[in-house]
Amino acid sequence: MIEFKNVSYAHSKGYGVNSLNMAIDEGDFTFLIGPTGSGKTTLMRLIYFDIFPDTGLVKVNGNKSTDVSKRKIPNIRKSIGMVFQDYKLLKDRNLFENVALPLHVLGYSNREVPDRVDEALDLVGLVGKEMHYPNELSGGEQQRASLARAIIKEPDLILADEPTGNLDPVASFELVRLLETIHETGTTILMASHNYNLIKGRGRPIYELKDGVLRVR
Amino acid sequence: MNKILYLLGEGFKNIWRHKMTALTAIFSLFIALYIVGIIATAGNNTHKVLHYLRSKYKIEVFFSQNVSNEKAVGFIHKIKKIEGVRTATIIEKEDAVRIFKDQFGEDIVELLGYNPLPVSAVVNVNRNHRNFFNVEPIIKEIKSIPSVDEVRYQGNLINKIERNYKRIIDKLPYLSGVIVLIAVLIIYNTIKLSVYSRKEVIETLQLIGASNIFIKLPFVIEGILIGMISVILVFPSLFMSVKAFNYLIASFSSFNIKVNFDPFVLVWMFLIVILISIIGSYRAASNFLK
Repeated sequence: MIEFKNVSYAHSKGYGVNSLNMAIDEGDFTFLIGPTGSGKTTLMRLIYFDIFPDTGLVKVNGNKSTDVSKRKIPNIRKSIGMVFQDYKLLKDRNLFENVALPLHVLGYSNREVPDRVDEALDLVGLVGKEMHYPNELSGGEQQRASLARAIIKEPDLILADEPTGNLDPVASFELVRLLETIHETGTTILMASHNYNLIKGRGRPIYELKDGVLRVR
Repeated sequence: MNKILYLLGEGFKNIWRHKMTALTAIFSLFIALYIVGIIATAGNNTHKVLHYLRSKYKIEVFFSQNVSNEKAVGFIHKIKKIEGVRTATIIEKEDAVRIFKDQFGEDIVELLGYNPLPVSAVVNVNRNHRNFFNVEPIIKEIKSIPSVDEVRYQGNLINKIERNYKRIIDKLPYLSGVIVLIAVLIIYNTIKLSVYSRKEVIETLQLIGASNIFIKLPFVIEGILIGMISVILVFPSLFMSVKAFNYLIASFSSFNIKVNFDPFVLVWMFLIVILISIIGSYRAASNFLK
């Protein structure tokens, strides 16, 4: 599903990733660990084609970084669910509207949307908070809302970039368990974190990224 | 179809979601459009002021003493045929006596035993010249008529009014151009700022997989709505301002001028605002799309 072949990318300030080689198969739940600034977000951005490698090849769902045109990127992202440390919820919309957003992007009719939103909110435990705005939710709830928005379109792949970065240990643990539940439905998941204690002992492959260099842990 | 309906709805909802931003944009646009509207209306009515002033131009023609009322009528027909003359009214010898009595309270015929006042005529000029109006050729032609003894007119005043009008007319297109340009820049930047304040919305939508059109369309619809609301508010404001101006002129001055509000001003104002709103919101949203 995801393949990195000798991928290097340097930001304008010099840091980045060097000669990355990685393969994540369909249905895998993989962790990416590394300290802040090690290149985890850069690697994620390479996967959803926000940036393109200076050298090497990134292949996601059969789409090669060398062939992807700007026009095609929105279509590729439609099959990827993303969760970020800062949630990226739209502050001017309530929980229902935030979670429903991907469905509108995909062209669902207004009749189909409420049931699917209910389903997603039920899965993340936020039923009853549909009319709440992001600033009326706790950090953990916002991150679960972000996860609901990622899964509502039933993506093939979920990229979670430091999803627990702003959460307390309990909320962090719950979120990883939620991701594991979603994974059981066959969704491929790549989760980046700097918190090794949170991910160790789960029996999942772990890649470690340090100073832009990747190794299997 | 579902997408289009959703995006249309989003355009409307965005106005409500960002009430303060929308209000600021509407207010800025309103001010800019109001100024443009006032200038356009003033420009449209400049000729009315001039028509009014030209209607006050008066040329007095005095015939020689030996010219009888009947003979003067023939000369007046000649005067009427001169290019630029609108009307020529005879003041017969008897009328002159009456006017003299009205003005000085004395009957000159009783005082002198005969009527020394000549037949005269009051000539009014054409008001509809688009450009500078020169009274001198008319005076010259009148003077060339035999038996015309004296011609009195406000030459300096007429020239001053005509010169100033020409100056205004010459500069009006440039002035209007500058003001419209300023208004366009204000409208454009207002729309842009309103989009910039929501750049995180654009970023998030991109991450979700929204296409460029999906992202831009609500902004464009919002821009059009803001423009439309501003124009709708400007219309009664301009209309009331013109009414108030006419009322003040009628009540507190001796001028007989009525300024008209041309709805066509509103039509082109509407079209310009919609066009700028579309371009402004589209370009501002594009700036945040990688």
